[in-house]
Amino acid sequence: MKQAIDPAWPRDDFSRVPYAVFTDAEIYRLENQRIFRGPVWNYLCHDIELPKTGDFVTTWVGDTHVIVARNGAGLVHAFENSCAHRGAKLTSAVRGNAAHLTCPYHLWTYTLEGDLQGVTFQRGVGGKGGMPACFEKKDHGLNKLRVAIYGGLVFGTFSDHAPPLEEFLGPHSLSQIDRLLVQRKPKVLGYLRQRIPGNWKLYNENVRDPYHGSLLHQFQVSFGLQQPTMRGGIKLDADLKNTWNHSIITEQDAASQKIVAEAYAGTGKFNPDLKMADPALTRVPLDLGDNYKTTILSMFPTLIVAQVDNTYAIRHLRPKGPDLVELHITYLGFESDTPEQTRDKLLTVNFIGPAGYISLEDGEALRLVQQGIRHRRPGGHEVLEMGGVGPIVDTDYLSQEISIRGFWSFYHQIMGLPAAGRAEATP
Amino acid sequence: MTRDMIDWTMQARVEAFLYEYAASLDEERFDDWITLFDAAGCTYEVLSRENRDLGLPAPIMGCYSYGMVCDRVAMLVKGVLTYRHNHLLRQVGNVRVRGDAGNAGAELSVRAGLVVYQSDEEGVSSLYMVARYEAQLTDIGGSFLIRRMAVAVDSFGIDTMLAVPL
Ligand code: FES
Ligand SMILES: [Fe+2]
Repeated sequence: MKQAIDPAWPRDDFSRVPYAVFTDAEIYRLENQRIFRGPVWNYLCHDIELPKTGDFVTTWVGDTHVIVARNGAGLVHAFENSCAHRGAKLTSAVRGNAAHLTCPYHLWTYTLEGDLQGVTFQRGVGGKGGMPACFEKKDHGLNKLRVAIYGGLVFGTFSDHAPPLEEFLGPHSLSQIDRLLVQRKPKVLGYLRQRIPGNWKLYNENVRDPYHGSLLHQFQVSFGLQQPTMRGGIKLDADLKNTWNHSIITEQDAASQKIVAEAYAGTGKFNPDLKMADPALTRVPLDLGDNYKTTILSMFPTLIVAQVDNTYAIRHLRPKGPDLVELHITYLGFESDTPEQTRDKLLTVNFIGPAGYISLEDGEALRLVQQGIRHRRPGGHEVLEMGGVGPIVDTDYLSQEISIRGFWSFYHQIMGLPAAGRAEATP
Repeated sequence: MTRDMIDWTMQARVEAFLYEYAASLDEERFDDWITLFDAAGCTYEVLSRENRDLGLPAPIMGCYSYGMVCDRVAMLVKGVLTYRHNHLLRQVGNVRVRGDAGNAGAELSVRAGLVVYQSDEEGVSSLYMVARYEAQLTDIGGSFLIRRMAVAVDSFGIDTMLAVPL
């Protein structure tokens, strides 16, 4: 077997990240064991996706395929999509409704709680064969997850050692979930899926990185949706692993365009004269009316709840090995939306997802990073110094990589990786 | 529609139209692609099979006016979007046409299958997309104008991104 690798973490402020964590198969195997099957809460689905008894969805917890179902008592249960008999996948459906689950192979049946209900020919045929008398159905249920729900978001854990869910999410996450997903009852307008040829942690970096927003996503700058000079900041949550970053609309800084023009000088990327033939998309009002232009709530390990302009979405990362991640987006409207607000959301969806004007580049950025680090000499590190090195703290500005260091500090700890070297003292 | 009801002239005209549609995108002649749409009013949508089957309305890409269709490709031409620049080859097949034949102003309903291959700068090709065209065309004599184009995508787990329209 391959030796576990020990990538070096030279600085304990996590301003250096070994590239090996994005490419190494052994690291990926350990992540499944220590993170996805470890003491974390994994996002499974939203409560509104299971309105009735017997409704189920299938989802992914790392490499593990999971069924989430609502039982007759209205409770949500989650278990692995693999038969307790000889391992067959129970269902290939992404979602459905069933009174119980029947394995297609030998027709064993399971309750909506994941307990074994029926074993075909358990007593044999004509008095011959059958299961031994000592076979107890209660010992052969499906592998279950513990389930907890906050603000309609359904989470599961394989571990008995996960902290209480609300503690795991942190106070900023809770209050922003309340703001985005609880004060109005959400409804699903659609799903968007993107298979990005990059490591799942690169996406975690991407959503904790407002630095790239106005640089990679030219659409935002060209049409004034986001300015590098815009007010906003980041707040770290729950052991630094979760980040709430946000930007706020203010009176347009008169100097803003000048600052932008200077920052972009020579890049050939700044087009202040660009006009849209039909700018309706950029004129949809923010119906929450609280002046937040963006709210990106990044929750370890694989959940992002995001408000980008007037779009509301749950983004879920589904790793498919070290080099590929599915980004699964649940695009939301609200029960209280007027027909006009719903129409607006079918327009603003053009901002996000695989074809989104201000998101499609993220897939490309991840692909480029994964390619870049796959094909360079071994042993290198990322440099995360924007916004300063040393203590990992909240900021009231956006061009920073501090919150990415927060992610890594928790990752390093939960993975039980060798101690990081001392960061040099910085003034 | 049974075989003997097919208007072969119309069939050939529609196929030629779809081939030009596909070629204009393959060859990045976006100004030509735009002229295939009805400037007086048109829609262009890329839809996921998953959402369709669930009756969910959100598109992957949705343009509800001629201006929005123009903007989609203007973003590519003006370099507003950073995307993987692959060579794309669209293969259109199984073209089926319904509607009144021949008279100007007639509305046609057209369906066709689409596969798109992508090839990178080092000459490596792969399948990018499996989809279906569902179009409403107006016969303007000689050619057609697109009133509505919906591209229903089976491969809705989109490989990396969708920047160039299908
Ligand atoms: S593997 Fe499921 S019943 Fe045999
Ligand atoms: Fe981004």
